[in-house]
Amino acid sequence: MIRLYHIDKRYGDHQALKDVNLHVAKGEFVYVTGPSGAGKSTLLRMLYGALKPTGGKLLVGGVDASKLPQKRLPFLRRNIGVVFQDFKLIPNRSVADNVGLALEVLGTPRAEIDRRARAVLNVVGLAGKEERMPQDLSGGEQQRVAVARAIVNDPAVLLADEPTGNLDGAMAIEVMEILMSINLRGTTVLVATHDAGLMKRFPQRTLRFEAGRLVSGQ
Amino acid sequence: MIQHILRRTLRSLKENFSLNLVATGVIGATVLLAGVYLSALQTLDRVVESWDRDAHVSAYFQPEIEVELRFATKDQITARQEVATVSYVSEEDAAAYLSERVEEVGPILEELGPEVLPASLEITLSQGHATPAEIQAFVDSIDGPPFEHVDYGQDWVQRFHTFLTLLRGLGLVLGVLISLAAIFLVGNTMHLVAYARRAELETMKLVGATWGFTALPFALEGCVQGLIGGGMGLLGVYALHQVLVARLEDALALALAGAELSFLGAGWAVLLLGASVLLGVCGCLWSVTRFWRKAP
Repeated sequence: MIRLYHIDKRYGDHQALKDVNLHVAKGEFVYVTGPSGAGKSTLLRMLYGALKPTGGKLLVGGVDASKLPQKRLPFLRRNIGVVFQDFKLIPNRSVADNVGLALEVLGTPRAEIDRRARAVLNVVGLAGKEERMPQDLSGGEQQRVAVARAIVNDPAVLLADEPTGNLDGAMAIEVMEILMSINLRGTTVLVATHDAGLMKRFPQRTLRFEAGRLVSGQ
Repeated sequence: MIQHILRRTLRSLKENFSLNLVATGVIGATVLLAGVYLSALQTLDRVVESWDRDAHVSAYFQPEIEVELRFATKDQITARQEVATVSYVSEEDAAAYLSERVEEVGPILEELGPEVLPASLEITLSQGHATPAEIQAFVDSIDGPPFEHVDYGQDWVQRFHTFLTLLRGLGLVLGVLISLAAIFLVGNTMHLVAYARRAELETMKLVGATWGFTALPFALEGCVQGLIGGGMGLLGVYALHQVLVARLEDALALALAGAELSFLGAGWAVLLLGASVLLGVCGCLWSVTRFWRKAP
């Protein structure tokens, strides 16, 4: 599902990723871990096309994301769900509207959006909160809305960048359980985290980065 | 897809009502200024046209020229393509005309005899041959014997044409400056609208929205602003025209030389409305594109 060949990423003099080679199979659940500045977020941002590598080749679902022209980027992203640490919810839209956004951009009819948004909010345990505004929800609930938005269009890949970074222990476990259940449905999941406790509680393949190099987990 | 775009447009118009109002007001003010300028220019053009229509040349005969030659000259000039009318004014007619208008001169003219004033031909040039250059060319062609002097008030006509040319140039410069200022103001107002919705723009890009899908509601918003702002501006020009016609037309009748105070024609009104829509759409697209490029 994801293949990286000799990926380099440089910001001026700083080498964020160095010669990274990697293969993540379809349906796998993988942690990306390492200290701050190790290159975890850079890797995830490359996978959803927000960054281009300085060198090497990067394939996501068979698409060469390293050479993807800007106008093709939306079509790559429609197959990738992304969950951010800061949730990135639209504050003046209801929970259902935030979740439905990923379907709206596909031109899905309104009734179908409403139906699927309700179904996926049910999966993440937010049934009955469709019309609430994001700021009226707790941090854990907001993150679950972000997860719901990321999976509502059944993406092949789900990327989560520090999804539990802003949550307390119980809420972090809830979110991780949801991510595990999504993986069980066949979605490839990559979670960038440095929360050792969660990785121990939900053991999975772990890619460890240090100073831009993939040091273990290939 | 169209349903989503219309829904997002309406929602944005509602949620950013005050910012949209500012952008609409800026477009309206720009159209009002442009409309007033164009109306004034049209009125001046009509004044000039009416003066040109009456382009008048007086050609004074040398005293020793025989009457037969004067009439032969009149016939020659009448036959020319650029001449509309020619009338012969004898020495006696000229003296009578002057005595009639300036009573004090009557006794003096009686004493000196009627031949003290020269006979003349009063020539009116036809429309289409009445620009300063054409009048000058005509005067040059007849200046000399049997005429002693040919006069058409050239200094005054040329000064007015120079003034009008300057006014047009100044208006063009002002028009360009006003348009640039309007684009800048509308663009920046829309930038604020886009800024208020930057989270939405960023999220939409992240979930796979295309530029067109994201930008189209903004373009429609700009279109609505342009239509309402442009319409308001044109209404303002019309209201101002009605007020001026009611209150100033009599006072200005002499200066306007019979021409009417002009309101923009339908062509100009449509053009201004189109320009204001274009201004709104371009301003919106410009601002949304700036945010779109910065979004990851």
